[in-house]
Amino acid sequence: MTTRQRRRARRGLAQLLLHLLFLAICFATLVPILYAVSVSLNADNSLLSSNFRFIPERFTLHNYQAVFTQEPVMLWLGNTLLLALSTVAICLAVSVPAAYVFSRMRFRGRRPVLRLLILLYSFPSVLSMFAIYRLLSPMGLVNSRLGLILIYTGTMAEFGLLNMKGYFDTIPVEIEEAAAIDGASRAQIVLRVVLPLARPSILVTAVQVLIYVWNEYLFATTFMTGAEHYTLAAGLYSLQATEISGSWPVFAAASLVVSLPILVVFFAVQRHMTSGLTAGGVKG
Amino acid sequence: MKQRKMTFYSWLCSAPSLLLILLIVVFPILYTAYISVTNMNVYHWFNFSFVGMENYRDALFVFDSGFLAALGRTVVWTALNMALQLVLAFVLASLLNIREFRGRKLYKTILMVPWAIPGYVSILLWKTGMFNSQFGLLNQWMEGLGLQAVRWLANDVSAFLCCTVVNLWLALPFMLMIMDGALQAVDKSFYESAILDGATWLQRAVHITIPEIRGIIGPAVLITLFTTFKQFDVIYLLTQQAGARTGANIHTILTYAYENAFITNNYGYSSAVSMIIFAVLVLFSTAVNRRKKEG
Repeated sequence: MTTRQRRRARRGLAQLLLHLLFLAICFATLVPILYAVSVSLNADNSLLSSNFRFIPERFTLHNYQAVFTQEPVMLWLGNTLLLALSTVAICLAVSVPAAYVFSRMRFRGRRPVLRLLILLYSFPSVLSMFAIYRLLSPMGLVNSRLGLILIYTGTMAEFGLLNMKGYFDTIPVEIEEAAAIDGASRAQIVLRVVLPLARPSILVTAVQVLIYVWNEYLFATTFMTGAEHYTLAAGLYSLQATEISGSWPVFAAASLVVSLPILVVFFAVQRHMTSGLTAGGVKG
Repeated sequence: MKQRKMTFYSWLCSAPSLLLILLIVVFPILYTAYISVTNMNVYHWFNFSFVGMENYRDALFVFDSGFLAALGRTVVWTALNMALQLVLAFVLASLLNIREFRGRKLYKTILMVPWAIPGYVSILLWKTGMFNSQFGLLNQWMEGLGLQAVRWLANDVSAFLCCTVVNLWLALPFMLMIMDGALQAVDKSFYESAILDGATWLQRAVHITIPEIRGIIGPAVLITLFTTFKQFDVIYLLTQQAGARTGANIHTILTYAYENAFITNNYGYSSAVSMIIFAVLVLFSTAVNRRKKEG
């Protein structure tokens, strides 16, 4: 064997080992999900037997059917969509203009408000949950969708403002100045120049808000009573199988059904995700 | 005059956003501060009275209250999780960036999956699918090996480790992506001369890679530091759900505050704990932002 051949063989072996390592890591990562997929599709309810296998001998969609027929999942989906879409719409509508002026204008009171917002951003909303409850309750906003929308938009408005302000900061002012010299008005500049440039950040912000509402279970279960008001997150929370009650295969199926839309959205915007989040530079 | 007009329009444009934040974030915090100096609880829902700093004293100086223990546990939790995440993400990203490694894109996509699945769903799947003492996968494997079933979440130490594993599983993809991006930004010519000089992998990592990527990963590390310190879902969902406690007592500060508000209904005390946590976070955040400005 020549030196060259030997080197090539060694490199091939290293590549093989690397592939084996990453296959093992990927498998280990996916185990909880693969297990849920397998259990949800398994026709033999042999959960308690020890001869479990990842690929079931007989398949069934019965558990998925149960999710849609025995539980009011479509109602929950409707509630979630209503909450999520209104929250995203309101949040963007209030945050985009605010983020823009905080990035571009130098007005009185700007710095102290920004500093305050950054401090408030580190405050986890679960800590003031009781105060929010007590404040909203006399206004009739507990156990109401409007109340939840208010809470969600208020919580995410801060993130929206800071995150998009950070992104606006990275867009050079010169582009706007050039447009102004060409005779464009402020409104035209914002609509035709700035917003198209800020699209990745607006998209990521919208997706973050959507994911937040989709996944929020704590306020949704504390502030809403009655299964007909539940969001998907609250509904799934109520479905979970414990040591003594509930059906694990149905829960597994429901979990996958609930996750799928988010999975699709996530991978659709994935390439913007890290830049859209860290360019804002909010820590807290 | 022009300045005044601009100030007016700026405030007008940001008013809806700021009003919402005022209503849902600022006002509840002020109200929490107010509740924290009263004895409001389930028996004193309306007729509560002013008790001064008593709740703060109970939290900070009565050791049995459990707050200091929760604070200490949270610090350990944050340190352990950050260390594991940084080391694992660094090693995995370095391996992914080995030259001529085909298939890294596919592996990266698969390793992203935990980030894409809703966090609470993953935690509940781990809880039932992996840790459940009857049909959890871990116990099925234990049985297969002829060992006894373990109640993973019932004991403090093992529950803490289970929470760490789940948190790692949830958080590693983000850190891995950041590390991967940072490693790709390092100038490859540094390595070539280091290899010519006979530097080992470890020497290259310590003297070239880590100093080079530190600035790039800094912001992401800080974000993760805060989210780890403020972690609620993992610990709450795995061990402390109302009506389904597993027996382990591993409160972090946030679950501790939550329990005192919504389980034992000690609103005044819980609000005092919340304000202390907020103060810690504010100090922390101020220090970080000041350093960032200087650096």
